[in-house]
Amino acid sequence: MSATLTLSRPNRKLRRQIEAVVLVLLACASGVAVLTTIGIVLSVVYESLRFFSEVPVWKFLFGTEWAPTAEPGAFGIIPLLGGTLLITLIAILVAGPLGLLSAVYLAEYANLKARRIIKPVLELLAGIPTVVLGFFAALTVAPFIRRAGEAFGLSVASESALAAGLVMGMMIVPLISSLSDDIINAVPQSLRDGSYALGATQSETIKKVVLPAALPGIVSAFILATSRAIGETMIVVMAAGLAANLTFNPLAAVTTVTVQIAALLVGDQEFDSAKTLSAFALGLILFIITLALNVVALRVVRKYREAYE
Amino acid sequence: MTRIILGLAAAVSLSALAATPALARDQIRIVGSSTVYPFTTAVAESFGKASGMKTPVVESTGTGGGFKLFCAGVGDEHPDITNASRAIKKSEFEACQKNGVTDIVEIKVGFDGLTIANSASGPDASFTKQQVFMALAKQIPDKDGKLIDNPYKMWNEIDPSLPAEKIEVLGPPPTSGTRDSFAELVMEKGAEKFESLAALKKADAKAFETVWKTIRTDGAYVEAGENDNLIVQKLEANPQAFGVFGFSFLEANEGKIKGAKVEGMAPSFETVSSGEYKVARPLFIYVKKQHVGQVPGMTEFLGEYTSAKAMGDDGYLADKGLIPLPADQAASSAAVVKEMSTLTADKVM
Amino acid sequence: MNSSDLTAKRRSAERRFKYYGLAAIAVTVIFLAILILDIVVKALPAFTVNQLVLPVTIDATKVDASNPAAGDFPALLKETLAKEFPDVQSRGDKKKLNALLSARAADGLQEQVASDPSLIGKTIAVPISLSSGADLHLKGFTDAQLDEKQAAWLAALKDKGFIQHGFAWSFFTQGDSREPESAGIKGALIGSILVICVTLMFALPLGVAAALYLEEFAPKNRMTDLIEVNINNLAAVPSIIFGLLGLAVFLNGFGLPRSTALVGGLVLALLVLPTIIIASRAAIRSVPPSIKEAALGVGASHMQAVFHHVLPLAVPGILTGTILGVARALGETAPLLMIGMIAFIVDVPHGFTDAATVLPVQVFLWSDLPEAAFKSRTAAAILVLLVLLFCINAVAIYLRNKFERRW
Repeated sequence: MSATLTLSRPNRKLRRQIEAVVLVLLACASGVAVLTTIGIVLSVVYESLRFFSEVPVWKFLFGTEWAPTAEPGAFGIIPLLGGTLLITLIAILVAGPLGLLSAVYLAEYANLKARRIIKPVLELLAGIPTVVLGFFAALTVAPFIRRAGEAFGLSVASESALAAGLVMGMMIVPLISSLSDDIINAVPQSLRDGSYALGATQSETIKKVVLPAALPGIVSAFILATSRAIGETMIVVMAAGLAANLTFNPLAAVTTVTVQIAALLVGDQEFDSAKTLSAFALGLILFIITLALNVVALRVVRKYREAYE
Repeated sequence: MTRIILGLAAAVSLSALAATPALARDQIRIVGSSTVYPFTTAVAESFGKASGMKTPVVESTGTGGGFKLFCAGVGDEHPDITNASRAIKKSEFEACQKNGVTDIVEIKVGFDGLTIANSASGPDASFTKQQVFMALAKQIPDKDGKLIDNPYKMWNEIDPSLPAEKIEVLGPPPTSGTRDSFAELVMEKGAEKFESLAALKKADAKAFETVWKTIRTDGAYVEAGENDNLIVQKLEANPQAFGVFGFSFLEANEGKIKGAKVEGMAPSFETVSSGEYKVARPLFIYVKKQHVGQVPGMTEFLGEYTSAKAMGDDGYLADKGLIPLPADQAASSAAVVKEMSTLTADKVM
Repeated sequence: MNSSDLTAKRRSAERRFKYYGLAAIAVTVIFLAILILDIVVKALPAFTVNQLVLPVTIDATKVDASNPAAGDFPALLKETLAKEFPDVQSRGDKKKLNALLSARAADGLQEQVASDPSLIGKTIAVPISLSSGADLHLKGFTDAQLDEKQAAWLAALKDKGFIQHGFAWSFFTQGDSREPESAGIKGALIGSILVICVTLMFALPLGVAAALYLEEFAPKNRMTDLIEVNINNLAAVPSIIFGLLGLAVFLNGFGLPRSTALVGGLVLALLVLPTIIIASRAAIRSVPPSIKEAALGVGASHMQAVFHHVLPLAVPGILTGTILGVARALGETAPLLMIGMIAFIVDVPHGFTDAATVLPVQVFLWSDLPEAAFKSRTAAAILVLLVLLFCINAVAIYLRNKFERRW
């Protein structure tokens, strides 16, 4: 510091110049994130446009048949979206109650010691790579569901949506619980105290006061979890199949947008054929869907914050 | 502060470094068919261990994808060899020529048999190609020869001799070379057995191709991914289901799964190499001659591939499930490697 | 209904609700426990190995002293094994007997003799790899694809004391292989480290710089708002999309070499950049303004105050965020599939432009292979990956607890 004080005038000028350069560098660094987004949009849109010059947009968006290698190829995204939706729905049905109830317990009932043990365990689950969950889903959960189904006389496809959905649900439990935990903690204590003063029990307070107050935040947590499930790749690549069935039977095999992107690009790379280009069109759709969900979630949260500030 | 600047400078210089092309390669790069992959990787590993040179990098991109990368040009960033589970197509050959890949050497390395297999605890089965076509095609001809959506749900609806089980076949996805072969070796041949379709083939070849190439999507055929190991495990879990995969996988998993007879012949090492088992195809590797001498080890690698200890009757590739070439063809493959005779346009179909 | 009934009902509803919460946590914990247990049980066979220790005579007719590496060592081993079983005569039986040995059984012997040609003509006892089927059989997996004859031969070898059981060091010292018994994770492990180095080299300086700019210097205008929204959204983009970006920009656009740690690291750097920026901003924001104001008060420029005072105090928070970002990058698979890192790579990579693969991709590759022994290899690789991630997270938690300051 003392050196700074004794700087002579030209040195100070030099310092200002250096600082100006550094400032520009810092600004550039923050621009990289924007460049990344632009890069994603450009690369995906460019290849998608080439795809749409071969396959009309409406056929892609509203076609009910997906068979990229048939002659002529069918590129209807509806069965893929249906499969994605089915698996995501199963995942949310699993993760929603589990995550929310865990969050309520952590935020309202657990003492500090219990929190200190439970939170890292949930973080541990959140940190497990999805390729590991995929291995577990394909080799342990799917055969188990099959056998269980047979015991009840149900016919279960070897690559059932249920197996992939269940494991994906477990994957997003930590996401929902940690987001909901923060949100429930942010509900002002005065609301709880008011409820208790009126004679409500703790569970009544949670159900009638805390959760309604936290609802927008919880909704946004669910939306973020949905977005995460839609974009997840490895679990479905390993545990769900490539069969583009349009069905809502969780015991049947379905495929998802991400599985098809991976299959189209890893299996084969014919860059000028509609087949490969369709992967980028799928990527574009995936990008738009997850972006939209994320924007909605952030909006909901922002609105909720305003309500208490 | 200075540290941050240094860090940024390092980042910038690294990206500059990244933008310049990589140094001359000293490692063979191979792409292509997932069917040939297990054999080429075995050769690559033996070559690496025995020669002391770098072990070639082998990537499984599918036959078509392999040609696409292979034909993209000559130079460090393009692969030296591509694996193929079928011969190069005219269009691919022309793409190669256009991009300057003019000297291509075609080497036939052996055969692969396709099998229709089920769990060892499942029923024994014997299919004809026509029955398989009737089970798996999206559209089949009815009694009058009119195309209708495939109505069959159970095997014994097709033929009373088949098991009374739900039709469920796990097979490769459209991107796989195995799927192409399956379509060509089984579905096409099965379709030709129908008089109406044989007539269609003469009248409108394109429409005929659509019929045998389009596999039903209502759940009877399950696209199970390129992951053949998972298919094997799924078959074990589900004895009613059949799987379609290369003969090598049947051999590697003997005891867990068993191959069904096709046209009365069970798949075995002997029946495939003798040609009695009719669902077999030749496997190839294609070499960029312009890279020979540029990338070290190419000649030695090809020598290892076509040597008796690899490709021969008792070679290690046979242990991996490759069905060896008959002696005369093996000799001609070895001769091709020796002379590095390139492919000419008239030999490509 | 009298009031005490109602109270009892409300009390039991209260208890029930609490138990629901506990049950939800229990289900999650049990799932995690089953997952880890399942993988440990599947992985255990991969950590031990049975080897054949036979005295082998290095026959000078088979191994040329001038070029020992080119000798026919597999034949040497086959002969040695055949001597133990003189009754095995038919061709089929001989083949079956040899099938007990690994296809890579001679590698160790070859290396040893090549490095010490004086061994030629001598008889040495070396450990020889068994085939994965024989190894599994000895570990008690009876469905290990051996027939009765092979099982009997193996039992005979065991009775003669030629079988040595030990820890499978080779799993940690070798690269990938087509033979499960000689496949190791060293290549993937080094590949993961190289990729993470590239990721850190790019993402850490960029992330910290961006965080400093946005938190301390950026004017509050629409542009800054846009960058902020953009970063938040980028954090939620599915990872596979970054793979598409890498394929289109780094491979097809810049022409960077396929399957290399450089490209993998760059893609993952972009992937974790938002995480690092968000964590760094939080860390910078948590430094009380009074510290910066004090520096400004004694005449420091804004930049000096930030770099000399705010940044050092934010380092622990930044590090924690970065480590968590690294943990995420380490477990990431999907984007790397798109840029050719899913390849058969035997050699351990030595630099950023060598062909490399990473642990999660190795897991995916091995889960794909038909040989039964690869299942335990896959699980073992998963276990190594999980232990690595666990250690990294433990470091992050340690740092957080040690350096976290509440102002």
